[in-house]
Amino acid sequence: MDFTWLDKPLEFSTVLNMIIGAVIVLAFILGVVTYTIYFERKVIGWMQWRIGPNRVGPLGLLQSIADVLKLLIKEDIVPAKADRTVFLIAPIIAFFPSFMVLAVIPFTATHVFTAASNVGVVYYIALSALTIIGVVLGGWASNNKYSLIGGMRSAAQMISYEVPLAMSMLGVVLMAGSLNLVKIVEAQQEFPYVWYVVPQLLGFIIFIISAVAELNRTPFDLPEAESELVAGYFTEYSGFRFAFYMLAEYVYVFAMSALGTTLYFGGWSGPFLPGWLWFAIKVSCFIFFFFWVRATMPRIRTDQLLSFAWKVLIPLALLNLVGTAVVKALF
Amino acid sequence: MSEETKKPAAATEEAPAPVDPRVEQANAFLEGVRSKIVAAFGDAVIEEAGLAKHQPTLVIQNDKWAEVVDYVKQEPSLAFVYPEAMAGTDYMEKGYIEVYLLVHSFVRAGDLALKVRTPRDEAKVPSVTSTFPGTNWEEREIYDLLGVTFVGHPDLKRIMNTDDWNGHPLRKDYVVQD
Amino acid sequence: MAEIRTEELLMNIGPQHPSTHGVLRVVVKVDGEIIKEAEPVVGYLHRGTEKLAEDLQYTQIIPYTDRMDYLSSMVNNHAIVTAVEHAMDLEVPERAEHLRVIVVELNRLMSHLVFLGTYLLDLGAMSPFLYAFANRERVVDYFNRLCGARLTYNYMRVGGVKWDAPDGWIEDVKTFVPHMRKELDMLHDLVTGNEIFLNRVKGIGVYDTDYALSLGLSGINLRCTGFNWDLRKNKPYSIYDRFDFDVIVGQNGDCFDRYMCHMKEIVESLKIVEQALEQIPDGPVMGKVPKILRVPAGEYYHAIEGTRGELGVYIVSEGKDKPYRLKFRRPSFINLQVLPDLLRGQTMSNLIAILGAVDIVLGEVDA
Repeated sequence: MDFTWLDKPLEFSTVLNMIIGAVIVLAFILGVVTYTIYFERKVIGWMQWRIGPNRVGPLGLLQSIADVLKLLIKEDIVPAKADRTVFLIAPIIAFFPSFMVLAVIPFTATHVFTAASNVGVVYYIALSALTIIGVVLGGWASNNKYSLIGGMRSAAQMISYEVPLAMSMLGVVLMAGSLNLVKIVEAQQEFPYVWYVVPQLLGFIIFIISAVAELNRTPFDLPEAESELVAGYFTEYSGFRFAFYMLAEYVYVFAMSALGTTLYFGGWSGPFLPGWLWFAIKVSCFIFFFFWVRATMPRIRTDQLLSFAWKVLIPLALLNLVGTAVVKALF
Repeated sequence: MSEETKKPAAATEEAPAPVDPRVEQANAFLEGVRSKIVAAFGDAVIEEAGLAKHQPTLVIQNDKWAEVVDYVKQEPSLAFVYPEAMAGTDYMEKGYIEVYLLVHSFVRAGDLALKVRTPRDEAKVPSVTSTFPGTNWEEREIYDLLGVTFVGHPDLKRIMNTDDWNGHPLRKDYVVQD
Repeated sequence: MAEIRTEELLMNIGPQHPSTHGVLRVVVKVDGEIIKEAEPVVGYLHRGTEKLAEDLQYTQIIPYTDRMDYLSSMVNNHAIVTAVEHAMDLEVPERAEHLRVIVVELNRLMSHLVFLGTYLLDLGAMSPFLYAFANRERVVDYFNRLCGARLTYNYMRVGGVKWDAPDGWIEDVKTFVPHMRKELDMLHDLVTGNEIFLNRVKGIGVYDTDYALSLGLSGINLRCTGFNWDLRKNKPYSIYDRFDFDVIVGQNGDCFDRYMCHMKEIVESLKIVEQALEQIPDGPVMGKVPKILRVPAGEYYHAIEGTRGELGVYIVSEGKDKPYRLKFRRPSFINLQVLPDLLRGQTMSNLIAILGAVDIVLGEVDA
């Protein structure tokens, strides 16, 4: 099925359908993110011989909702000497792209809510880089030395890891022959009939490491290191602005996992079960992996982190790219 | 500070009391160190010498304090290189403040207690931080709590109390402020 | 072309900060990420213990010592009671000595577990903190049964200990030793081989023996440079000469060596506890001591091997029941002096690694 909104006439009903579709996806993602936060606390708790949240609602299921509600009704504090306009806009700039990138990811075979854009991969990378601006602006506008240092560190880290992330994705693009994420999933169902994680194992490893760094998660969570800079670039944010930053981070967790599933694990393809269920299972496995790494690893230092990106990951990614190209050319 | 050796309380007979071997050893240790210091600086530098419960103790003259401490560290046969403890005591009735420094020698396998006294008004003691950097904070604490100025200390300021505190709490005549 | 103007930031870390292990303030002058100068400011937890002691009888001072190094209260108790017993030449019954050694070594173990947990938490790994504290909780439970308290025990008295072990206590502690050994293996698996951890602590904060001696460092901070000096072996007190254990010595004097010394000392403490549990005789737990303790006039200094170094007590007595001057030689206070030298030229992330490895407790720094 090749449903795409581009074929439909630009009428009021089409526009209305598209808006409703966007709102549905938004609501769905908010639900997913709420329970991602809940499961993170539960899973990490179990790994640490603890129970995790279990008071609010049955099994603590309403914990995230209670937390979000608490954040939303908090007093809106803007530091006195902060650059007010920038301070207010920064979380929005950080958070906006995280939703926009979800437009290109195919959730199911019929991908009704997906844009099926022919430049999906590029669209994703370009938008995820916009978040960095939001982070830096947040760090600067807070008028706080710790936030400034945190913001700069975060920017350095995210920019450095964009490069290997993009290069690892290029390996997959070479194999599939298209930047369209839908076509990449369909290409994994043809020859050589394996998900791209097998021929692109090196690329996958680079992708996973860069993804963790892009998400600012342990072991690359220096910008948020509580024990070193209080809370890095969002030290001064409270209430719903803090909620924006947190939301952006967790939507990105979902988006990166979805991207990884699409590129390397065949997206929604799989026997017996419906496509969306397979997609959900694969994304859940990715998210679980992120939680697992967070519970286990200590933090890497900034200079070690940057030298790792530039001196190790980028050469490996180049190697992967060249190797893929050579193999493709020969066969 | 006493110079006693262990004696039985009532000694009416002529038979000498058995001397504790630890006391003998401590006295020998004390004499070994004392003779070297006297040879280097002269007799007057040691005001008192004795044992405090088997611990050889020397009271050094105030103006020669830093030099003697440096000497016992640098002299190869003494080599008291490890500063173990430093304390200050306010002897109000006797009219002086005493600074106590315990140093250890691995060469001689023993401790030596060195003390120096200073009058309570305008209390001044030469600093030994150039010999033992580890006494830096101890001297600051003695300055803060007892009011002894250490001449030559690189950064003499209060350490426990706030910088604008009045008085020196460990002195016996300190009145607690409300 | 005008030069780019850079500024040095004067930053304040603490006194309220998740990583300074208490109320410690470090004033750092930072140029970008490099520390130009660092100065610790202490005294936020100064409670005047030494001044208070001049007005208290020796037994009344013991609860105050609990609160100095609050992570190893038994060790502090041990310091003051052995100092008074040394001054008064008092005999302690065998059972009391064994109980003392058991609780002191268990306390050392507990303190090292806290070090492990908090050090790794500072470096970003969340889980070892919980595993370490889960094990520590078992020992805290034993102490709770023994003396009724979880943190500040007030257990020892001059001439013995206050409470005898309740029924079944010795057997329960015997089951703890093999359990802890297994847990330690698990912690080693999780942490010690981890590349990320090693990159953050190896070669960081290095100093040599001469520097350590001139600074008066003691305990693990001295032994990590390779110098074998442990008061339990070099100036034996209590009944330590009866137990067979090794002194853990490092090699390079860096943060990793300090970490490994802590971990290996847990093993040695378990050895001592095991032997003491085997050898403990029956008998009274309190010796013959006068009702009112009067230390004979004179001055005395006695030091024990505390968890963080040499914990010494200096008593000046006029023969009364209260000391004329009581001074504690506190290892964390002296060890913290190493910070300005070690931090010069380091990055901010290394500040946390170095400060954590010095292993201070602010209660002991400030007294």
